[in-house]
Amino acid sequence: MAAEHAAAVHDPNIGCTGLDHRKMGMWAFLGSECMFFGSLIGTYLAYKGKSINGPGPHEILNIPLTSLSAFVLLMSSLLMVLALAAVQRNDMKWGKIWLFMTALFGAGFVGFQCYEFTHFVHLGLTLQTNLFGSTFFVLTGFHGAHVTGGVIWLLSLWVLALRGKLGPQDSLKVEICGLYWHFVDIVWIAIFTLIYLIP
Amino acid sequence: MDSSHAAPAAAHAPGEGHATVQTYVKVAVVLGILTAIEISALYVPGLPNGALVTLLLVFSVLKFGLVVAFFMHLRYDNKLLTALFVGPLIIAMGIIFALMALFGAYILLARG
Repeated sequence: MAAEHAAAVHDPNIGCTGLDHRKMGMWAFLGSECMFFGSLIGTYLAYKGKSINGPGPHEILNIPLTSLSAFVLLMSSLLMVLALAAVQRNDMKWGKIWLFMTALFGAGFVGFQCYEFTHFVHLGLTLQTNLFGSTFFVLTGFHGAHVTGGVIWLLSLWVLALRGKLGPQDSLKVEICGLYWHFVDIVWIAIFTLIYLIP
Repeated sequence: MDSSHAAPAAAHAPGEGHATVQTYVKVAVVLGILTAIEISALYVPGLPNGALVTLLLVFSVLKFGLVVAFFMHLRYDNKLLTALFVGPLIIAMGIIFALMALFGAYILLARG
């Protein structure tokens, strides 16, 4: 107990709160991201139903397809925690598999979104078409960019693991990446309900 | 690299821990079931709009809470981290409600 306390005191990453600076920094960042996405969601809802020309959401949103992509992102969160648990118990074989699978599911979600955006543009909905187009593309586009960043981060960790440079001693790196990944998942839970499901 | 080697022991105080793999799987199953009910509710004929929207919002909040509590470990972590996240989240909710009120947009009620 005393040895653990001494180790914590001498670790430059542990501040006076007893928490790791990197983890606290990530939570503070996620707090700021809440306000960022809150503003975008608020703008979408404020302008909902106020476009003077079509197409509107009920004409083009594909609920079954988006439900599938939402499910893929939701399950990628499970794969992420499995990856963290595997790295923490030094099971790097499964750690690598789960990290790669999480990135793959994330890339799948981005693929669904690229298809959806392309399809909408073909149907005549662009960023400039109407209020719905502007608010929809900005909100879901920023979310997609966040998912893409998360996929790159996950693949970086996977490459480190493949090169033997990621072990249980680095589990905090995986945990912080996981926090970011789960955050993009919960943002999508909100977006999926507010934009796609609520009539 | 050296600094990160000491991190796992320091990241969680003694007595704090994460959920087990079984708990993660159970949470994922519940999340999947909630999502399935949400989507199915859209196709229930004759369901009043108010009931549908309320169900969707409640289930969405439940899913949000489950991911934050179990997958993001806030249930097991230091309360300071909860405050760091929930504080801005409340501000974000305030922004959403303020914007909707300013622009006369409502989810549950018909526009006046």
